[in-house]
Amino acid sequence: MYYSQNNISVARKNFLLTVVVSVFFIILCRLYYIQIVEYSRFKGIAESNRIRIIPLEAPRGAILDRRGQIIVDNKSQYNINVIPYEASQSKETYETLTSLLNISSDELNRRIKRHSRGLFVPAKIADDIDFKTLSYLEEHRVDLPGVLYSFEPVRSFPSKANLSQVIGYLREINKQDLKNIKQFGYKQGDLIGWKGIEREYEPILRGARGYNYIQVDVLGREVGTLRNKDKVLPVPGNDLYLAIDLDMQIYAESLIGEKRGAVVVMNALTGEILTYVSKPDYAPGLFSGTVKAEVWRDLITNPSRPLYDRVTQGTYPPGSTFKIVAILSALENKAVDPEWSIYCNGKYRMGRRVYKCWKKEGHGRMNMHDAIVHSCNVYFYNLIRKINIDVWSRNASNFKFGRKTDIDLYGESAGTLPDAKFLDKKYYGIGWTEGTKLNLVIGQGDLLVTPIQMVRFAGALATRGKIVQPHLGLKFLRRNDSQFSIFAVPSDTITSYSPEAWEFIENAMFDVVESGTGRAAKVKNVKIFGKTGTAQNPHGDDHAWFIGWSKPEQGAPLAIVVMIENGGSGSGIAAQMAGKIYNFYYNPSMQQMLADRHGNP
Amino acid sequence: METRKFSLANDFTKTLSDNNRILIIVVGLLSLIGLSALFSASMHIDLPFLQKVIGRQLIWMLFGVLLMTLIFFLQGKMFFDSAYIIYCVGIVFVILPFFLGRATSGAYRWIGFGALRFQPSEFMKLLVILSIAKYLCRTDLPITQFKSLVPPLVFGLLPMVIVLSQPDLGTSLVYFAVIFPMLIWAGARTFHIFILLAPILSVVTAFNFYTFFVWVILLIVVFYITREKLWLSIVLFIFNLSLGYLTPILWNHLKPYQQNRIFTLFNIEADPQGAGYQVLQSQIAIGSGGLIGKGPGRGTQTHLKFLPEQHNDFIFSVVGEEYGFIGTVVVLILFFFLIIVFINSAFRLKDRFGSLIIIGVASALFFHVAVNIAMTVGFMPVTGIPLPFLSYGGSFIFTCYAAIGMVMNVSTEKPTDRSRL
Repeated sequence: MYYSQNNISVARKNFLLTVVVSVFFIILCRLYYIQIVEYSRFKGIAESNRIRIIPLEAPRGAILDRRGQIIVDNKSQYNINVIPYEASQSKETYETLTSLLNISSDELNRRIKRHSRGLFVPAKIADDIDFKTLSYLEEHRVDLPGVLYSFEPVRSFPSKANLSQVIGYLREINKQDLKNIKQFGYKQGDLIGWKGIEREYEPILRGARGYNYIQVDVLGREVGTLRNKDKVLPVPGNDLYLAIDLDMQIYAESLIGEKRGAVVVMNALTGEILTYVSKPDYAPGLFSGTVKAEVWRDLITNPSRPLYDRVTQGTYPPGSTFKIVAILSALENKAVDPEWSIYCNGKYRMGRRVYKCWKKEGHGRMNMHDAIVHSCNVYFYNLIRKINIDVWSRNASNFKFGRKTDIDLYGESAGTLPDAKFLDKKYYGIGWTEGTKLNLVIGQGDLLVTPIQMVRFAGALATRGKIVQPHLGLKFLRRNDSQFSIFAVPSDTITSYSPEAWEFIENAMFDVVESGTGRAAKVKNVKIFGKTGTAQNPHGDDHAWFIGWSKPEQGAPLAIVVMIENGGSGSGIAAQMAGKIYNFYYNPSMQQMLADRHGNP
Repeated sequence: METRKFSLANDFTKTLSDNNRILIIVVGLLSLIGLSALFSASMHIDLPFLQKVIGRQLIWMLFGVLLMTLIFFLQGKMFFDSAYIIYCVGIVFVILPFFLGRATSGAYRWIGFGALRFQPSEFMKLLVILSIAKYLCRTDLPITQFKSLVPPLVFGLLPMVIVLSQPDLGTSLVYFAVIFPMLIWAGARTFHIFILLAPILSVVTAFNFYTFFVWVILLIVVFYITREKLWLSIVLFIFNLSLGYLTPILWNHLKPYQQNRIFTLFNIEADPQGAGYQVLQSQIAIGSGGLIGKGPGRGTQTHLKFLPEQHNDFIFSVVGEEYGFIGTVVVLILFFFLIIVFINSAFRLKDRFGSLIIIGVASALFFHVAVNIAMTVGFMPVTGIPLPFLSYGGSFIFTCYAAIGMVMNVSTEKPTDRSRL
């Protein structure tokens, strides 16, 4: 029984061998596939399993004025982080932290939970801690296992100027934007320039983040640095120089004070903006780090709208400052000659309506020059009757009204420049009349402009037809070779007007300041040209306008616009302010005095 | 006939036939690879050497080699005579954990002797092989009749059911897996084997209409070719058909975790933290080894503990990560070689009992290797089947070496009548 003879058929042996061979072959193929073919994929997964990348934040570039005075800089903000596992091991740590931060332990747990990304990954529990807390933590380091502090660079604003609309602010990037710009290295939670210069020059200001690599185990516990993967140092952003003249900016801001309005001073030849004020504004320091919800809410619900940029977003009727366009229209197609005159008795009757001059008793006989100097409405009512609305509109559009200036700020308005087509459409069914024209010629009605368009207009008048693109950014210092890159700015020239026409306008606007409505803008030692405007405002007091330029012996003419909401007559506060600003700029003794007061040498 | 003088050295070299020498070399190499992988897996654990996985494994291996030598020198007749008795003893031991075993993570697999723990179900694998081999050796056995297949099935299925309820799916499958190669080897009819395995395939294919359709066609073809009795064919056909029909219905009655285990087989990357996590990490470990591996002791998946059960069921992944494709192929070739040597020596052996034992061991070994490696490369769900000679575990190591000792014992053509020795 024990020795039964063995007789196996070869077929059965081969069958078993075949099964064995095929199974081993399949496994071999699979090993070849995952170890050779898919090697790099699995290697990548294994690497990302074990490597934790610690980002090293790069400071953004500083923002400076044209002379290199710092407007925006960085400072370090200290945050407290806690390693959840280690902190949960010690009751004292919890107690110390709650008393130090003055929060309940529930709140502490909540914060840890909210920022927790693993038991051994530090979670942020407090940001922007003060120096006292920081030094306490440093002293008691040994007693507080698992409590760390980290710092991140945040914005600081050392200058006296607010410049809030210009600088803008940073905000955490949102999900949609992140999708579009992921290839530039943005990550969830990154701050990105959201408004103003911070937004416009984001690629220049933003630094390149550095990385440190550490090795972690399956629990996320740090087990050492990596041998063959060097730390990548962060590269700070480039320093950006603005065209802003910080001293004049501070002066202009203090000059407006609590009033609402806009002031822009621009180099008429280059378009460099030396002063840019939109009031009311806010202290830019509110946006240095993460904005607290209540601060944000206050800014948004504030009825005087501090976040609203009056210079580029605000659209206003330009008032009498726009009369210049009518003059140029008349001179261009020779509808009348400059000596053509009318008699102003304070009113202009058309059909059943009476259009009034601002001077009740009337100006008497007015020629073109006097009409500008005294800003006589009746003269312009008569003048516009001789000019086609489309001619007027074309002349205005020579100065690019109704179009954005393409200033380097986000969210600019284009304003409205009506022509026949526009009016036909708007008053479809009702019809528009010659009366509509009478309103437009004195800068009222459907005509809306932004202060930045007006300063460009003033600049074009100053340079006899050169239209420049206003801009704030001047140059930036390249990190890699410490050379400046200067921003190129396009400009345009208006050729429709004869030199005589320019000459005429210049003379008239000089006399406005010398002896007309703009006398308040007169400045010692320098020739000032200008035009005032009083824009009627259906909601309240009139808006006061002044546009103009200076013509110094040396150097470029500086164009200016002053617009004060509800400021009354343009010949009053607006012209006065323009004069003070020019005086500050051209008479250094006063500048010195003020500079001393503001602590800016 | 001359009386044999006993001289250990002479006897040992003489009795070590070529096949046995190859066996020892291959098993030795596999054990060394296993030890180096274990060394790597445990090198950063701060314990005295003998308390580490590697130290214990070394001790067990030494005792395992002693056991192997002992079994080698035992009389072959002893296995034959006592096969049924020790099978019964084995069954008792397999049931014992239910009464005095310690539940380790909810499973009753162990019997404790002081500090030592011992898993009877491992040794039971050998006893199942022994008793099936003994039964199939009967000279009067009408192996071509179906009824002759019933006792071997019972020998396998009895411990299978017990162990399955411990619950230990992996081990119980081994009892089942050894039955069929042994039956084929003993000369059972292919048709019988086929109808025994058919229900399993009916269940597996039933989840997809097309696979089930192909399977049904195949059934018809087989029944047609074999030309069995018509009524038998029809009954078997209807049985398989209805089984396939009922499977999806029964499936829906399974508990979610049970379904999950099976789901894992099909889509492992869908849920990395869930059931497929282990298999995925194992694949990452093997795949990231590349051609030459990361070097001994430098497997990041292993050392940073991303790899689960690295010294146990997933030891092959450690080899794959640290020694790369070259390492895995060497292990694969060694196992392949071992099984081919088994089949060949079983074929050449005149002794039917020995031949069947070798086939039983070979199929158990093959099953372990195939299922374990298939699991680590993502072909199979985690069933808890360790890799012979490489995986950590005392009872398992003893069983493996004992099996090799048994194979060497029975494959040695004794020069004289065994009963005299």
